[in-house]
Amino acid sequence: MVTSNSEQDDLMGLLIAVSREDRLAFQRLYEKISGRMFGLCLKLASQRDLAEEAVQDAFVQIWHHAGEYHSERGAPLSWMLTIARYRTLDLMRNRKSRPTSGDAHLERVADERDGPLDESLRVAGTAELRGCLDELSETQRDSILLSYYRGFTHDELSEALSSPIGTVKSWIRRGLMALKRCLER
Amino acid sequence: MKKTPERIEALAAEYVLGSLHGAARRRFERWMMESVRVRQEVWFWEEKLGHLGARIEEEQPPASVWAGIERRLWPQTGNAVSAEAANDASGRWFWPGWSMLATAAALVLAVILVQQPEPEMDDRLSGAIVQADVSDPLWLVSESSLDRQLKLRPVAATAAQQGKDYELWIVPADGQPLSLGVIPVGGTYQVTLDDEARALLSNSRTLAISLEPVGGSPTGQPTGPILHVAKLYEL
Repeated sequence: MVTSNSEQDDLMGLLIAVSREDRLAFQRLYEKISGRMFGLCLKLASQRDLAEEAVQDAFVQIWHHAGEYHSERGAPLSWMLTIARYRTLDLMRNRKSRPTSGDAHLERVADERDGPLDESLRVAGTAELRGCLDELSETQRDSILLSYYRGFTHDELSEALSSPIGTVKSWIRRGLMALKRCLER
Repeated sequence: MKKTPERIEALAAEYVLGSLHGAARRRFERWMMESVRVRQEVWFWEEKLGHLGARIEEEQPPASVWAGIERRLWPQTGNAVSAEAANDASGRWFWPGWSMLATAAALVLAVILVQQPEPEMDDRLSGAIVQADVSDPLWLVSESSLDRQLKLRPVAATAAQQGKDYELWIVPADGQPLSLGVIPVGGTYQVTLDDEARALLSNSRTLAISLEPVGGSPTGQPTGPILHVAKLYEL
């Protein structure tokens, strides 16, 4: 993770305090990570009001569930961002909304099948994850990243990558399994 | 669908990625409730793919977001509590968000083998509600088809925080949870199951406990956090 260990320690300390219902710690936690969380939700949903709602919901959940965090669930920041990401995906499905400002991006992917996906997506993650993503085929990597960052359904991916839905499904499935084999090495 | 290691592996990855939808997603969420192995697989991916989230450009949310959080968590201390805010605070979205249940991190399921009485035509379900950091089970659960009684016996359970009650639910395989009432403090809680409740329970064998306002959920559905989920076993 790009955050330093000391930052993760800070977040851990804040989470522990939050699990003891320390409201001040909760506010500090919000100040520390809400920017990253909102950025993630916004990227996923491409809708400000939905992203705002997701961040709100995620922090309400964090307040109630801070005590359930444990190290098996990843670094504290990942855990909290995961909560926000799931919440965003839920809201997107409830509203059956499709990304709006993401359309330009979508066309670009469709036009440049072999071209690089948005650089910020490409370089995302730690060295380990990045290295493993690089070992995947372009199509596998693109389908995984589009699912992760944009919350695309199989249908949407099939459209975006101009490929049959069965093919897209198989890119994701095989890509994920190859990723796992690599991450476990 | 059987929970083979290959399926668990493939579905957990797609679950975390978000590409698992609809009925398949709900079925997988049930798997997560049932199996530590499945949850661990999900955590693996949450941890790995979580790195993707950390590299996104930051953007500060508007101040109204924090104000909304405070209003929902502490409506009594807020300046203005609108009806909408109160409505939001009902946590109506909470229950479908099974993903958080997966977090039931603290949760370990245990089978308590109870001395079997003389053989008779009696189907019994049994189990325990336990918490990882407490050595004794919080409650022992037993259910008998003969007398239609479900019993919840406190062992290490403590009273809910002030102003709150624990509420017991049957979590059906499909659909909304069914309340079995507020669990009183101290003493064995005994509830008679009607036909509907029995059918739901013998099918899903899953109970949950949520934290509710005193007197139980005002909406008939869980409004507070789900504290425990337990699977019962047939004896």
